[in-house]
Amino acid sequence: MEENSKDLSERVWRAFSSMKLGLYLLGIIALVSAIGTVVPQEAMNPEEAKAVGGVWKMMGFTHLYSAVWFRLLLGLLCINLIVCSMQRLNGIYRRTFKLKPPTALAQIPQKIRLEVKGESDQLRESVQATLKEKGYHFTVSDQSENWSFIGIKRRMGNWGSLITHLSFVVLVIGALLGSLLGFKGFFMEGAGSTIPIQAIEVSKGKVSETFSVRINSAEDRFLPSGERDNWYTDMSIIENGKEVARKTLSVNHPFVYKGVTFYQASFANGVKFTVNMNGKKMPVILRDQGQSYFQAPGTDLYLVTAINTSSAQTVNALYQIYKGNDEKPIQTGQLEKGQTIDVQGTYQLTFDNLAGFTGLQVKKDPGVAVIWLGCGLLLAGLLLAFYWQPIVISGVLQAETDKQGTLTVGVLSGKMIASNHEVLQQFVTSIKPEKIT
Amino acid sequence: MLESLEIASFYILLGSVTLSMLSYFMWLGGAKKELSGQLATYLAIIAIIASSTAITLRMVISGNPPLTNGYEFLLTFVWGILVVYLFAEYRYKIKALGAFVLPIAFLLLMFVIMSMGPEERIAQTIPPALKSQWLTFHVVTAIFAYGAFAISFGLGVMYLMKLSNEGTHKKSNSKGIVASFPALDKLDELEYKVIAFAFPLLTLCIITGAIWANYAWGTYWSWDPKETWSLITWIIYAAYLHARLMYGWKGKRAAWLAIFGFAAVLFTFFGVNYFLSGLHSYG
Repeated sequence: MEENSKDLSERVWRAFSSMKLGLYLLGIIALVSAIGTVVPQEAMNPEEAKAVGGVWKMMGFTHLYSAVWFRLLLGLLCINLIVCSMQRLNGIYRRTFKLKPPTALAQIPQKIRLEVKGESDQLRESVQATLKEKGYHFTVSDQSENWSFIGIKRRMGNWGSLITHLSFVVLVIGALLGSLLGFKGFFMEGAGSTIPIQAIEVSKGKVSETFSVRINSAEDRFLPSGERDNWYTDMSIIENGKEVARKTLSVNHPFVYKGVTFYQASFANGVKFTVNMNGKKMPVILRDQGQSYFQAPGTDLYLVTAINTSSAQTVNALYQIYKGNDEKPIQTGQLEKGQTIDVQGTYQLTFDNLAGFTGLQVKKDPGVAVIWLGCGLLLAGLLLAFYWQPIVISGVLQAETDKQGTLTVGVLSGKMIASNHEVLQQFVTSIKPEKIT
Repeated sequence: MLESLEIASFYILLGSVTLSMLSYFMWLGGAKKELSGQLATYLAIIAIIASSTAITLRMVISGNPPLTNGYEFLLTFVWGILVVYLFAEYRYKIKALGAFVLPIAFLLLMFVIMSMGPEERIAQTIPPALKSQWLTFHVVTAIFAYGAFAISFGLGVMYLMKLSNEGTHKKSNSKGIVASFPALDKLDELEYKVIAFAFPLLTLCIITGAIWANYAWGTYWSWDPKETWSLITWIIYAAYLHARLMYGWKGKRAAWLAIFGFAAVLFTFFGVNYFLSGLHSYG
C-alpha cells in the first residue's frame, strides 16, 4: 500500500516535472485565450454575451478568463513551473558555483575546441593569468603530470531561466491576492454630493471600508487651443464626519487612500438646483440630457434637466416635470442662473449653477505590489538569460615529454555558437600567440 | 507649413522604401550587383531619415509622442523595421535579407495609403487616457520588438527558400537567388539571435502596458483582446525559445515558428484593431 502511494506520488511528480506538459499547457492557454477574444465576454460586452448559446455559456466561454477551468489551467502551469524549477535548482547551483575541472579529454566540449602545444608550466601560468585578466572564476586541478582547468564568466546568467520561470508563479500569486482580498467598483456623482464607499456599484469582491467620499468639484478642462486637457475631480475622504484627506485627481493620476485607489474614468455634465419645499432647502444635482431624475419627497413629481448651450453668453437649464407614469411632461421651461420658479405649487426650484459629474473607478488590490515584483523578476530573469549568457571554458593538458604537453581547450557552445568560437580564438591567442592548431 | 513638410517626408519615405525594395530585388536577381546593392542600402538610409523627419515633425505639430493613433504607430513601426534591419545588414553583412524585410515596410506604408484617409492621418487630439509617460515606453519597446520580429520573419522565409532549393538541387551549388543567401545554419542562428533580442523587449512592452493601464484604468490586466493577443504572441515566441533550447528545434520547424510568430504580431496590430473591439482603440 505504502509502495503504491509512493509510486503514485512519484509518477505525479514526474508528470509535473516534464517541460512538455508546460509547453502543452502554454499552448492550450494561448488557444483558449484566443477563443476568448472572439466570443463576447460578459465583462466587456454584456449585451452580446447574453446572446451566446447556452452550452457555451455553461462551459464558461462568456466569462472565460474567470472560469474555474481556465484558472485550473493556470494553476497547473504554476505547479509545473515550481516542480521544474525545484528539479533544476541543484544542477544550476553546481553549474554556477561548483564547477569541476575536466578529468579526461572527452569532457572538453567537442564543437568549439582548439589545441595548443607548449611547455606545461608556462602554459599553466599563462592560462591562469589570462583567466584572471578576463574576469573568469576558475579552478585548476592536477592529476600527476597532467593538469586541467575550468573557468566561468557572467555566471549569474545561469540563474536567468530559473528566475524567469518562478516570476510567473509570483505573478499568479499576485493576481490571486487581488481577487481574494480586493474589490473593484464604480460610481458617478455630481459635484457637491457625498457617497459612502459601501454604496458604490461593486463588480468584483466586497467593500469592507467604511469611509465616505465627497466630490468637491468635477471639471472638464480645455486647453487654450481648444483641445481637451483632462477631467479633474477634487475629492475628499470623510471619516466620522471629518475630512481626513483631499486631492485633485485626473486620468492617469489616481488617488490612493488606505489601499483604495480612485481613478478618473469618465465625465458628464450636470446642473445644480436648490429645491425649497415647505421652507426646507435641499441641493439637487442632476445629469445633463435627463440621465438622472429627482423625485420630490412624498409626491409623484419627477424632475429631469438638460443644459441649453445654444447661446454663447448665457447658459440656461431646460427642465421638465413628469407626473407618475405619464409620458408627457406636465410642466416645462427654461431657467437662467439664479432664477426660481414654482413647480406645481409643491416646491420652488432654483437653478444655481452647472455641476460636473465625475465617473470614478474604485479599486483595492493588495496584489499589485506582488505583480510588480513578479514583473521585475520576469524582466531581470530574461535579461540574465538572453543578454548575460555565461561562458564556460575548460581545458586539459596532456603531458607528452617531461615538460612539453598539449593543451586542449574548449568552450561550451551554449546558445551562441559563432560568438563562442570567437571567445575561444581570443583566449587561445592570449595564452600563446603562436602555434595554434 | 509644418504639415505639408510632414506630408512631403511621408512621400519621400514611401518613394525611398519602394525604390530600396526594388534595388534589393535587383541585387538578389544579380543585376549590376555592386551598384544595386549600394543603391538599396543608401535608399534605406534615406527612408530612415525621411521617417525620422516625419515622426519629428508630427511630434512638433501635436506636442505628443507620435504614437497615439494607427497612422502614427505604423509610421513608427516602419521606422523600427528599417533601423533594426540596417543594423542587422551592417553587423552581419547579410544584404539578401533586405529583399524580404523591405517589402514588409512597403506593405505597411501601402496599407496607410489605401485604408487611411487624410483625416485619419492628421494629428488628432489625444484622449486623456493617453497622456502618460508610460505610453512612450510602451510603444518604443513595441517598435523595436516588432521591428526585430519582422527581421526574424524575413530570415525564416529565407531559410525555407534556401532549404527547399537545396533539396531540389541535391546539395550541389544552390542556384538562382538563394545562391547569395548565407549558409542555412547561419540564417538559423541569426534568426534565433534576433528573437532572443526581441523577446525581452516584448516582455517589457507588455509590462509597461500593464503599468500604464493600472494608472489609467485601475487594472493591470483586463484580458482585453489586444492584451490577450500580445500574450498569445509572447507564448508563441516563448515556445520557439523552449523548443529550440530544449528539444533542438532548429532549421525548418524553427523557421515556421518564426513566421507564425510574426503573423501573430501582425494580427495583434491589424486583426485586433479591425476585427475585435476593446480598450485599445488607439493603435
